[in-house]
Amino acid sequence: MDQATNSTVLEVVQLTKVFRDFWRRPRVTAVDGLDLSVRRGEIVGLLGPNGSGKSTTIKMLLGLLHPTEGSISILGGRPADVAVRKRIGYLPEDSTLYRYLTPRETLMFYGRLFDLSVAERRQRTAELIEMTGLSAAVDRAVGEFSKGMARRLGLAQALLNAPDLLVLDEPTSGLDPMGCRQVKDLLRALADRGTTILLTSHLLADVEHICDRVVIMYDGRPRAAGTLQNLLETEERMTVNVPTLDAAGTKRLLDLLRKELDCEADVSRASMNLEEFFVSVVKEAKATDASGHGDDSQIAAFLCKVRGG
Amino acid sequence: MARFRQAVALAGLTALEVLRQPVCLLLFLISITLTALLPFLILHRFGEDGKLVRDSAFALHAVFGIFVAGYAATTALSREMEGGTAAAVLSKPVSRDLFFLAKFVGVVGVVAIFSLCSGLTALLVERVAEKFVMSGGMVGYLSDNQTGGLLLLAILASCLVGAYANYKRQRPFGSITVTTLLAGLVLCILVAGCFDRAGQWAPFASRLNWRLVPVSLLITMALVLMSAFAMALSTVVGTVPTLTVCSAVFMLGLMSDYLFGRHAAESLWARTLYSILPNWQHFWVCDQLNAGGQVAGTYMGLATLYAAVYSAALLCLGVVVFRQRDV
Repeated sequence: MDQATNSTVLEVVQLTKVFRDFWRRPRVTAVDGLDLSVRRGEIVGLLGPNGSGKSTTIKMLLGLLHPTEGSISILGGRPADVAVRKRIGYLPEDSTLYRYLTPRETLMFYGRLFDLSVAERRQRTAELIEMTGLSAAVDRAVGEFSKGMARRLGLAQALLNAPDLLVLDEPTSGLDPMGCRQVKDLLRALADRGTTILLTSHLLADVEHICDRVVIMYDGRPRAAGTLQNLLETEERMTVNVPTLDAAGTKRLLDLLRKELDCEADVSRASMNLEEFFVSVVKEAKATDASGHGDDSQIAAFLCKVRGG
Repeated sequence: MARFRQAVALAGLTALEVLRQPVCLLLFLISITLTALLPFLILHRFGEDGKLVRDSAFALHAVFGIFVAGYAATTALSREMEGGTAAAVLSKPVSRDLFFLAKFVGVVGVVAIFSLCSGLTALLVERVAEKFVMSGGMVGYLSDNQTGGLLLLAILASCLVGAYANYKRQRPFGSITVTTLLAGLVLCILVAGCFDRAGQWAPFASRLNWRLVPVSLLITMALVLMSAFAMALSTVVGTVPTLTVCSAVFMLGLMSDYLFGRHAAESLWARTLYSILPNWQHFWVCDQLNAGGQVAGTYMGLATLYAAVYSAALLCLGVVVFRQRDV
């Protein structure tokens, strides 16, 4: 990795947040002494059950909540810096959108907040609506959207400024399996192009597929952190992958392992996980995607274009 | 310049979102329809119809305006913080001060539209109300039923246009109806301004009582002040407490002269409360109008200064609190 790739995008030291009641008495410690460092181009997952402090952490990183203790350096500045927020894309947990606006109005509005020119706003809005598969609902009020559609629009607004850092709170929540897969593929493509991604989730399969590193939080404190390989590797057992064998071949392999290595061994067929199976079935069934899902290769091309890449 | 463009976007969105809310439309329509029906509901036959209609129209303007201002302010801030849209916007390159002040401007925009509709309706209903006339060979008490009918038609037409736009083109019913209503009222003024009460051609606008305009402007200032109060309060508490406190402050401010003003000379508490509470009586000059007088320019200036200084102080307080607020 070169120096640019190694540069730290986010540095959090001893971050603590205590929520207080109306009388300013401490009510709950949502985050307690979190240390976190994220490098450019990484996908880092904050995992944990509900109430473990994931969303609170993200809101502090964006300057929406004021930390009780600790320090945050994000893209070389403070979370409150307007210039820093210009380089961040944020997808809130519940795709909080203005319910009486249409998707086009929503994206045009956010484009104005990023001070994009009228031509840029129109172009990016049209492209992102097309890419997220919302063209058919472009004149409908967002309040009438399903959760999955709102999530897609939320993702579109997060990508509007072609951000250097993408902060996603439960990005696949509410999406169908195809939508989940597309979002995960998109995030991987974005990271490969240098976008840093910090996401939270309690859907472990999502995180397992795309995250380079994870931090597992419980009760506001980090309980485990590291690369997935380091965290998931077990010391006690190994897997040997071979092409499918017939019954005789299987017996010979087991005999060989037992005799030569003097160890217990078993053989079973390799299997896909349910998501891989579902995606393959749907892909076979649908020559063209009729459910309104966008194409993430288009999004990657879009980001390349707006960044001048 | 970028900040200005952001402010315009935020203020515009705030006004649009509030105008699209069904509750806001309901407040607009009830207030304007009740005002339009006043000349037909008040069955007074001693030549004072104009006075009663004027007083009632401005009372409706003030009372419904307080609700519009309070509702718009809480929708713009409290509900956005509760719903999470404020967090989504503040994660963009928007400073908190700008967000808060732009929201206030958007709320003032809604209040201004409401006041414009109410003011135009007041001008029209005052014209409709029965008056003694001696023109075109007619002598006696005469109601301007044509203008009254035109006004009711404008209200009905705005609802129909809103419904059509919503049904056919999926456009938001609320904002389309309000926009059409405003356009319809302007059209009514233009038509009514060309005729006298007997239906004869007259020099344009000579038959409308323009002395009502300053009265309407003063009520609008009171509503702007109430918006600033509601915005400042919304930084600390939620929707329901904000609306409750606003109602209480409205009542106390109306009775401020009686409750605290008369004891102000001898009691420090009364003097302090009298100074702190906004005094809505400063913005109610209907009695002066009914006595045949006009609202003096200096009075208008002083009232504007009072509303501006009071609103500025409340907004400064709101900005300081909002900077520290967890969103």
